Amino acid sequence: MASPANILRLCLRPSRRLPSLRAAALQQSALRRPLSTTQWRAAAAEDGAKSKEAEDEADQAFSNPGQFLTNFLRDEKITDEERQLAKRMLADWHNVPPHMKKEFDKLNDEITEESAYLRRPMLAKRDSFWNTEESDPDLITDEVGEDDFEEDDIMAMGHAKLEEHREFREYARLAVWEMPLLSKLAKPFQPPTEQEVLRFRYTTYMGEFHPADRKVVVEFCPRDIPGLTEAQQLKLKKLAGARYNPEKDIVKMSSERFEHQAQNKRYLGDLVDKMIATAKDPTDMFEDVPLDTRHHTFKPKIKFPKEWYLTEERKKELEAQRKQALLLDEGKRTEGLMIDGVQTIQKALLTAKVEEPVVLTRVRSTRGRR
Amino acid sequence: MSAPNCLRCLVRPTAGIPISAPLAAPIALAHAHARAAPFSTTAANARPRKETEKKTGSKDHSRGGKKLQLGKFKKDHIASKGRSPLPGERKAYRKRITLSNDNAIPVPWLTDLGPEALASAENTARVLALPEEVQDQLRAGEAFKPTQCWGMFRKPAVLVRKETVDLANRMQDAADKKQMLRLVVTGDKVAGKSMMLLQAMAHAHLNNWIVIHLPEAQELTTACTEYAPIPGTDPVQYMQPVYVLKLIQAIKRANEKVLAKTYTAQAHPELPQNIPPNTPLLKLANVAKEADGAWPVFQALWSELTAHNAARPPILFSLDGLAHAMKPSDYRSPAFDLIHSHDLALLKLFTDALGGAVKFPAGGAVLAATSRSNAPRVPSMELALAQREAEERVRQKVEGAEVPQKDPFFRGYDERVEAVLRSVQVLRVGGVDKLEARALMEYWAASGMLRATVDERAVTEKWTLAGSGVLGEMERATLLTMRV
Repeated sequence: MASPANILRLCLRPSRRLPSLRAAALQQSALRRPLSTTQWRAAAAEDGAKSKEAEDEADQAFSNPGQFLTNFLRDEKITDEERQLAKRMLADWHNVPPHMKKEFDKLNDEITEESAYLRRPMLAKRDSFWNTEESDPDLITDEVGEDDFEEDDIMAMGHAKLEEHREFREYARLAVWEMPLLSKLAKPFQPPTEQEVLRFRYTTYMGEFHPADRKVVVEFCPRDIPGLTEAQQLKLKKLAGARYNPEKDIVKMSSERFEHQAQNKRYLGDLVDKMIATAKDPTDMFEDVPLDTRHHTFKPKIKFPKEWYLTEERKKELEAQRKQALLLDEGKRTEGLMIDGVQTIQKALLTAKVEEPVVLTRVRSTRGRR
Repeated sequence: MSAPNCLRCLVRPTAGIPISAPLAAPIALAHAHARAAPFSTTAANARPRKETEKKTGSKDHSRGGKKLQLGKFKKDHIASKGRSPLPGERKAYRKRITLSNDNAIPVPWLTDLGPEALASAENTARVLALPEEVQDQLRAGEAFKPTQCWGMFRKPAVLVRKETVDLANRMQDAADKKQMLRLVVTGDKVAGKSMMLLQAMAHAHLNNWIVIHLPEAQELTTACTEYAPIPGTDPVQYMQPVYVLKLIQAIKRANEKVLAKTYTAQAHPELPQNIPPNTPLLKLANVAKEADGAWPVFQALWSELTAHNAARPPILFSLDGLAHAMKPSDYRSPAFDLIHSHDLALLKLFTDALGGAVKFPAGGAVLAATSRSNAPRVPSMELALAQREAEERVRQKVEGAEVPQKDPFFRGYDERVEAVLRSVQVLRVGGVDKLEARALMEYWAASGMLRATVDERAVTEKWTLAGSGVLGEMERATLLTMRV
């Protein structure tokens, strides 16, 4: 039934996409990280096409439910029930008197105008010196007339401080009274089943805005993916390129391309699906390309050698060796075969022939010895 | 009458003095001194320098009293340097090889090496002396190196190690079966790789082999000896005539006896001197008198040595510093490209023999030793040697043995090197065991070079200090320290 609420909901649906909001947000994100070390990359061609399609859809701004419904009926994918409902609603809309339609349009415009401020990105002023004129959300007062003392109240800074204190206390109360109740909601850890091979990681900054809170990371092991042969697994690893860790056998990918976590997660999920589909595609199995692991440095794990452990056996063995060595020494000593360097030298010096000084008779022969 | 005077003015612009005025004697004298500089701008009445110097007897621009002397403590003021060494003298001193020390005590039990001594396992862990004749042969072949400690003992002696016996046996087996032993000696720094080559050469000399030894591969590849393209070769090969002449003379001196008993199988019309068949090879080697004709003579000698239709002794062909022979050399072709070492004809002979392309008629051995201190990095060679070792381990079914593979994304491999080293054997020289270390230390002590009692304690100490018996390190720890 075409209740006014239903009509309103349908009307708001197209505008909820807020195409200008999305564009602005994207712009904003680019501005907010001026010092990013990540290189700006264009999206892949296919993704580009997809997003363009989405934009086209969003760009169609519908000023009233009639337009939306006609557009909705043009879509061939909807079910018969939906089609009938939409037809009925379109007929109802045509029955609405024209002045009401006009009022509706006016209301729509007003809402858009009023909420424009919310959607507008916060741009840094271009000519400001170190962004001095930028409003600082971390300040506790608004800095307008805060030094004016009118002798009837504490000053703005004092109020702000009290306000801050109240806020702390509120959170403290939450922590003491309500947080323990969360334990009721705790669920026991369920290890992922064999069907859940993707492990996602999200980041939250507890409700605060942060450029990294949209980032989603997915990890998976190519071996865990069901229905892949060895060759297909290898191809999947090759497709993953530098995202593959050969030591852990894990592919790790992340995305922060889109504004929302959910979008990024969806994107990653689709990407994994696409990779698996490509890996299964037998037209080119990349057999001529070796698995590239240059991005990974293998660290040798140095372990204490097994042979070095002083087990009882080893101790006995060493003992025997030492005993044998000592016996060898002892044998040599008794037989007089032990060699002492110092003694050898002394013996040699004692037995060395000392040349008799030759009496020189002729002056000429002083140079030669003999 | 002013005309002559004016003319004279033009000729001699210094004539400030009126010509008619009577000349004083000193001015005339000054003129006589200044003849050498007729166009001087100095006034003619300046005081002549030399005479005043002679008169006063003092130095120029000097004053009396205390003077500041700069650089009076410099060396050349204090002592004269004496005669500076002549060109090449320093190098000769650095590279000289002393094989005996008259002050060392002769070791009474030291016996000379016999023909079978190095191949028998009973001699393991014994020190044996090199006979006089072999010393001369090895010296001619430049087997001794200046870094080795020959100059400390009465006569050169070597320690027979397990690896030595192994190598000698492999050589002997190959010669008995008329096969070729192709082997690369490798190991850590100062582990005794060159000494292993020396022992192999000694064994070969003792058994009347012909020994050809290239003492340093870098002498051939670092562009320090002359080279020239060999006409009619495709791809172009290069000969090194000066080095080859030296090599022929070394071969001649080292193998005089054997070469005199080996006869040529064919005539060599291309040589300047007529060499009919059945001439001793010694005579053929004697043909090389100058560098110009050395390469054809060497080729003739090589073809004779490898002639299969005649009686030939086994041949040992060895080279030290293999890495230098396994990379592009520093020579340039006429197109200014680097010449690969394997395009140098002499090294090509060696690498062909090492790769198995050449067969010696009576068998023999092709040995190469790597060097660790003076070795360019040759990834192909390192990998190939590691692979050969791993293959050997796999053959012996050692647990966890795995043949290393090429890095598919590395470009620095050299296929020619891999082809040469595809089927060589590898002998790894490591540390000696304690028994061998003990034998060596006893020899040192008996020579008076080690002032200590050689008991188990001393041996273990030095053996451990030397990183589990690395021989060079043992020498460093024991012989080459100043603590006596």
